[in-house]
Amino acid sequence: MRKADEQGFREFAAANAASLRRTAYLFCGDWHTAEDLMQSSLMKMYLAWKRIKDLDNLIAYARKVLLRTWLDEKRRPWRRAEQRDGELPDAADATVDPDTTSAKLWARELVHTALLQVPPRQRAVLVLRYFEDLSVAEVAVAMGCTEGTVKSQTARGLATLRTIVEKLDSSSGRVAS
Amino acid sequence: MSEQEIREGMLLAVWDEPPLDFDPDTLIRRVEQKKSRRRALVAVGVATAMIAVVSLSLPGLLPREDNAQLATESPSSASAAPTESPERRAQRLGDGLVAGLRARMPSTKDSYASFGPGRSGMSLPYETKPPRWKEGDTEFSGFVYFSDEIGPTALRVSVRKESFSSELFCSGADTCQQLWKNNGSFVYGAEFRYNDPQVQQVGVLRSFDSGLVVEITAYAHNPSNGNGQRQTVPVGVAVLTQLVTDPGVVWETG
Repeated sequence: MRKADEQGFREFAAANAASLRRTAYLFCGDWHTAEDLMQSSLMKMYLAWKRIKDLDNLIAYARKVLLRTWLDEKRRPWRRAEQRDGELPDAADATVDPDTTSAKLWARELVHTALLQVPPRQRAVLVLRYFEDLSVAEVAVAMGCTEGTVKSQTARGLATLRTIVEKLDSSSGRVAS
Repeated sequence: MSEQEIREGMLLAVWDEPPLDFDPDTLIRRVEQKKSRRRALVAVGVATAMIAVVSLSLPGLLPREDNAQLATESPSSASAAPTESPERRAQRLGDGLVAGLRARMPSTKDSYASFGPGRSGMSLPYETKPPRWKEGDTEFSGFVYFSDEIGPTALRVSVRKESFSSELFCSGADTCQQLWKNNGSFVYGAEFRYNDPQVQQVGVLRSFDSGLVVEITAYAHNPSNGNGQRQTVPVGVAVLTQLVTDPGVVWETG
């Protein structure tokens, strides 16, 4: 690869790595896997850089690659079962308001736990629509499907998410707003 | 739960993300290493495939030395011709050995003999042409190549003039004895285990009154290339004795 192209990729990767990792985290629910997914996607983009470097919306292409990489990973039998030994307890931070922190943690856990129970493609649509703020057309491009499919998957995903949130709320004794 | 709450919940879900330790240069290095590894793997694969193709087609492609000269000769003929060149004599005896081996071990295939003049019978590493036969050559050696159930291997054959010494022939052997005698010609057979439970080398040596000596040796590996290690020899001393005493193979002429 030419030095100029390589520099172009380097700048793109440095600018978008964090954002891609966040999206990947919402897809998979694990920061380590998210980092792997982000790196794998960028590696694929590096290999195709000569061909894709002049695309109008490179970040949309990157999201598409990330989504495909994640869906491919999920299809691999050895990655289907999530293996966790347990989670480290959150460390107390004396500088923040305990009430705000508690509310944040609750919302985070609620959405994250519920989101991970939504089927993968519906989850992907929800993340791209509500986290990445993409339009229906942009999500359709990233998912490689029609806009109608995006709309139906969004509606189904929202319904699934709400059902799961209600269940979680009722089981924990809190009321969903 | 409204869409806005979902949006906020997702933003909160990544609120405490761990610090990102990402270096594009490391990633580029990894990709380049992966690419070079893949190229190396492809090269190894292609080379392996080529070697496999060549090794499979080689026995069929290998011409007998000087086919044109031998074209008029019947392949099964093992008797001596009146004016026989050393090369033709070697080829005749090789054909006789191959026919004898096939008759005694029908499971063998791809068998052929290749001999050269002298006691080594092979080209030296720096030589680009096969050894040349000269009129009057009486000594030759080489291999009878064949494949059995285990794989390709060979018997080493040496035809030379020397005075026979049983001490020399039997040196280091676990068993060594005279196995056959007729009209002044005799055969000695020896087995070598080299501290292995199974026989690793067998050899038979037929000596003639004239001083001609024929030695056929089988090894637990392919002596033509040093590969093809197996547990024991492909041919026993009994078959080697039958080959060296086969009346269809006329070792002495004139």
